[in-house]
Amino acid sequence: MKSVTVYSTPTCVYCKLAKDFFAKNDVAYVEHNVADDLKARAEMVEKSHQLGVPVIDIGGEIFVGFDKDALSKALGIAG
Amino acid sequence: MYDLVIVGGGPAAVAAGVYAARKKMATLLVAEGFGGQSIVSADIHNWIGEKSISGVALAERLEAHVRAYEPGIEIWTDRVESVSLASSSPRVFSVTTKKGEAVEARAVLVASGSRRKRLGVPGEDKLDGKGVAYCSICDAPLFGGKDVVVVGGGNAGLEAVVDLHAYAKTITLLQRSDALRGDPVTQEMIGKWDNVRIIFNAAIEEIVGDSFVSSVRYKDAKAGTSNLLAVEGVFVEIGSMPNSDIVKGFVDVDEIGRIKVDPRTGRASALGIWAAGDVCDGLYQQNNIAAGDAVRALLNIYSYLHSGK
Repeated sequence: MKSVTVYSTPTCVYCKLAKDFFAKNDVAYVEHNVADDLKARAEMVEKSHQLGVPVIDIGGEIFVGFDKDALSKALGIAG
Repeated sequence: MYDLVIVGGGPAAVAAGVYAARKKMATLLVAEGFGGQSIVSADIHNWIGEKSISGVALAERLEAHVRAYEPGIEIWTDRVESVSLASSSPRVFSVTTKKGEAVEARAVLVASGSRRKRLGVPGEDKLDGKGVAYCSICDAPLFGGKDVVVVGGGNAGLEAVVDLHAYAKTITLLQRSDALRGDPVTQEMIGKWDNVRIIFNAAIEEIVGDSFVSSVRYKDAKAGTSNLLAVEGVFVEIGSMPNSDIVKGFVDVDEIGRIKVDPRTGRASALGIWAAGDVCDGLYQQNNIAAGDAVRALLNIYSYLHSGK
């Protein structure tokens, strides 16, 4: 399984939808709260060249926002 | 062949779905997700029956309510791309989806809602996500200690100010006209905050920045001057556009593309097509109204399918 990292804020709805989606599909992920964690925020900007959340890193492939189909494809799951 | 295809997953679509299932109509509901535009709202205080509910919780309840009727109602996670007339006698519509499915139905209820309006000024596309934001509740925490502007003085704009207040250093609200339109309760609250400033008669002209936003240029309509304001964030809250493209050229729409419906029945100009919620030309955009309008449309669809009228 590819490693999955989620950059999120506590109030972000689409972050929650993404995390719910991972939980439902038994996808393990590491989460960084970029509202507080400035180092992770810099890392997120470095990877995605933008400031919106969520940013999802699936094995080096970067996704901005929650696109279920794109995430399913990257993970090779049915969704 | 379905009796009915419902397009959308907001309060209108779900209300119609529940009623359709209870009437045992052969119904397909196609939605990319549930909850509608309120999903990004932190706290909804006017959904009747709930003193307070978050947008996500409302979305979950709406989805659970309509899914309780599966398989009596079919639900697809997909997006309707087009609706066209397959046959005029009997009257049958062809509905195609993004995933390439094509189905036929005797009636279609368009409850596809609306999407956020963009400013349409230079720099907006280039700096989208690079300081230009359309979801204040999502992105406000990333603007801690920064100077930001909010564009728009309706309820969405005022809520963005509230979301940003805990984080941003200063918030400048740019309002095109000479008064705010949002709820007086919220106006009063933000009026007391030291780090919030409101500029009236301000029309945003350009968003400036290299890799991230560095300033905005706005025109002061009264003074006739063009001013540059140094900010790192621009939150755009200027209203919405109807998602009516799927029936474009097929039913009558108003000047901003909202589907014209008969307010007594929810019928669009083409026989067999109904619409409800924010995609319509109603005067008010509210979750409760969307749900009620959709129920009225559904009951009218039921009588159309059974009596042909």
